[in-house]
Amino acid sequence: MNLTRDRLNTIGWGMALTICAALTLGLTFRVNAVKSEVRLAERRIVALKQEKLFLETEFETRANQQQLKAFNDVDFGYEAPTAAQYLESERQLAAYGKARSPDAPSPIRVASAQGLEVPQMVSPLTGQFMSDAVAAEVPAQGARKPLKAGDLRDRLSAVPARKAAAD
Amino acid sequence: MLASAHAPAGPRFAGHVNTVISAGRVELVDVRQRALGEARLRALWILGLFAAIALVALARLVHLGIGEQLRRGDAIASAPRRGDIVDRNGVPLARAFPAYSLWFNPKAMGEGSALVKTPAEVAAALLRIFPDENYDRLVARLASGKPGYLRRRILPEDANRIHALGEPALEFPREAERYYPQGSMAAHVLGYVDSFGHGQVGMEAVFDKQLSERATRGTPAVLAIDARVQGALEDELFTGMKRSEAKGAAGIIMDADTGEVLALASLPSFNPNALRPGDISQKADHSQANIFNRATNQTYELGSVFKPITMAAAIDSGVVTDLSKRYQSNRPLTIDGRQIHDSHSFGATLNIPEALIHSSNVVTGQVADQLGAARLKATMQALAFNERPYIELPARGRPQWPRGDKNGVWSRVTTITASYGHGFSITPLHLATAYAALVNGGMWRPATLQKVAPDHVAQGRRIWQASTSARMRQLLRSIVEVGTGRSANAPGFRVGGKTGTAEQWDGNTHSYRKDLNVTTFAAAFPMDHPRYVVIVTLDSPKAVSATSFQRTAAWNAAPVVGKVIPRIGPLLGVMPDAARDIDITDIAPLIGDGEGE
Repeated sequence: MNLTRDRLNTIGWGMALTICAALTLGLTFRVNAVKSEVRLAERRIVALKQEKLFLETEFETRANQQQLKAFNDVDFGYEAPTAAQYLESERQLAAYGKARSPDAPSPIRVASAQGLEVPQMVSPLTGQFMSDAVAAEVPAQGARKPLKAGDLRDRLSAVPARKAAAD
Repeated sequence: MLASAHAPAGPRFAGHVNTVISAGRVELVDVRQRALGEARLRALWILGLFAAIALVALARLVHLGIGEQLRRGDAIASAPRRGDIVDRNGVPLARAFPAYSLWFNPKAMGEGSALVKTPAEVAAALLRIFPDENYDRLVARLASGKPGYLRRRILPEDANRIHALGEPALEFPREAERYYPQGSMAAHVLGYVDSFGHGQVGMEAVFDKQLSERATRGTPAVLAIDARVQGALEDELFTGMKRSEAKGAAGIIMDADTGEVLALASLPSFNPNALRPGDISQKADHSQANIFNRATNQTYELGSVFKPITMAAAIDSGVVTDLSKRYQSNRPLTIDGRQIHDSHSFGATLNIPEALIHSSNVVTGQVADQLGAARLKATMQALAFNERPYIELPARGRPQWPRGDKNGVWSRVTTITASYGHGFSITPLHLATAYAALVNGGMWRPATLQKVAPDHVAQGRRIWQASTSARMRQLLRSIVEVGTGRSANAPGFRVGGKTGTAEQWDGNTHSYRKDLNVTTFAAAFPMDHPRYVVIVTLDSPKAVSATSFQRTAAWNAAPVVGKVIPRIGPLLGVMPDAARDIDITDIAPLIGDGEGE
């Protein structure tokens, strides 16, 4: 069999064509597969949207204004806040810091806790006094020390150790 | 092989042998050739067929690949069958919702008993799920053995609970229904959708085309209504109506500058999810049905709330230039043999602010007499009191307008009666638009239920000068501060307004009945820069202990406004501020204390 240059050329072109066709076909399959996935995803989106609509509407119905009002009337009895409960601007806030005018009534003083012994804190878990823990948390005087990574680790590891000691 | 064996014999000899032997051979070769040809042909056919199938498959694949582009989004754009209606903040008020229905199918279990348990037990179980159902009706329906709807528009959670009852006869087919998540809220604004899928009564009817056309139903219709404000108004209006044992009530909250209606309520109301026979009346007197809109369709003689409008017309036209001028007030006004009284005497004389604060018919009548029929009538026409109200709703009442003589000129009596709100009747919505013009600087704009963009506000027409409007704001504020509207004075909200108690005309006795009133409070707030108008009307309130045995607006309508404003003000961006108010120092010296109606 004579493999002339022409024939080789033809075979080469044929093979190139075949390979291209095969690749195109493969690509078409791939594209269609992806499209099919997209379609399925879209269907799922629609289904989820429907479900969302369902839940949203159910929520809105159960939390509609009349239901909430009935709920408030029976359980809470909240009322619209009065003018005294609003602060509209910084100016209004600053007005609270103004010096008292000469004829203004003397301000109300709240009871002072000075001189009273503050009851010790009790752990809600163990029922024991928390003097140790509180002492560990709050330095005796002055500001807190700045925390370091080591402190935190020690403090966290200290809890089971104490618990073990108590046991 | 054959060819090589004969070759030495030469062509001639060979030809001879060939002719002898070939008779059978040629035939054989022929057969073989034919068979081969046939087989080849068949193979070609099959190959062709396969190629064709492959081609078709390929073409289909490619087509699918391209065609999918077109079909894409089909599912996504599965637009609702009817567009949603939302409020100005996007809260859905009406939506297309595939709700469940509760269908009773007695044949579900074949022959024999339709239910597993007794009808009474099933009815009791259903009653636990739907407390508003009628037990006897349910038992009767379940025992009858006839298929039919037990209930429509039920929620998925309720459907689950019914499913848990384990009754195969209770089915819940899903149906594309119109659903109103807020129940009866804004029912008169929304209306309902009938069984043919057409909107009725409210904005469902107005937007019917837009909501049902394929091209437009994807985008929801936006109303000017604010669901929170609407809810607050309905709450307080309902409480006020129950407190005073009124027959009905109407309320409107409107943006004074744009005419947008933020809330519009009419009581008694209906639930568009479940219309009942009493909601839609088949009788001629449809004003008895719950579906009847008292805010836009019912006309009332609104009474004293009209006095500020008369005063504004008098101030604007220069008839009243001096507010301190005093008018006699201890004698009834006698015009052409008819007497005009006040509820009680307020002393010998009153000036203009006092006349409004005490709501004196006698003084208002004198001012109107000076103003003249033509100017009062022109003002009322400019306020569109002689036309149906301007709003999208189909239910718009036609006002009763005094005809006058054959040239249309009003008599003195007609003019004076009209000056304090009698002798003509308008809807509460007319009043709302008039009060908006009264306080917003004098511009009248039509009311609208559609949200208005700030650059698309209706141009409106000027009724009063801005200075008149400013003066009226002072007067309205003083009525609430020291006059009949004190119970509407929500602290910090700078409310201004006017009470109105009108007697209703009795067609049987042809007279006004003192014990049958329409009470109205027309208000605006905040008076230093009015942004919202609030109208509350009660139809036939009674004098009961809750209203201190009083029947006037000061005791039943004004407190409703006083409760509504603190609830809606902060929602609408009006913060209460006790340190701020409209400056009324120039009219304050003119005001004494007193009572009026």
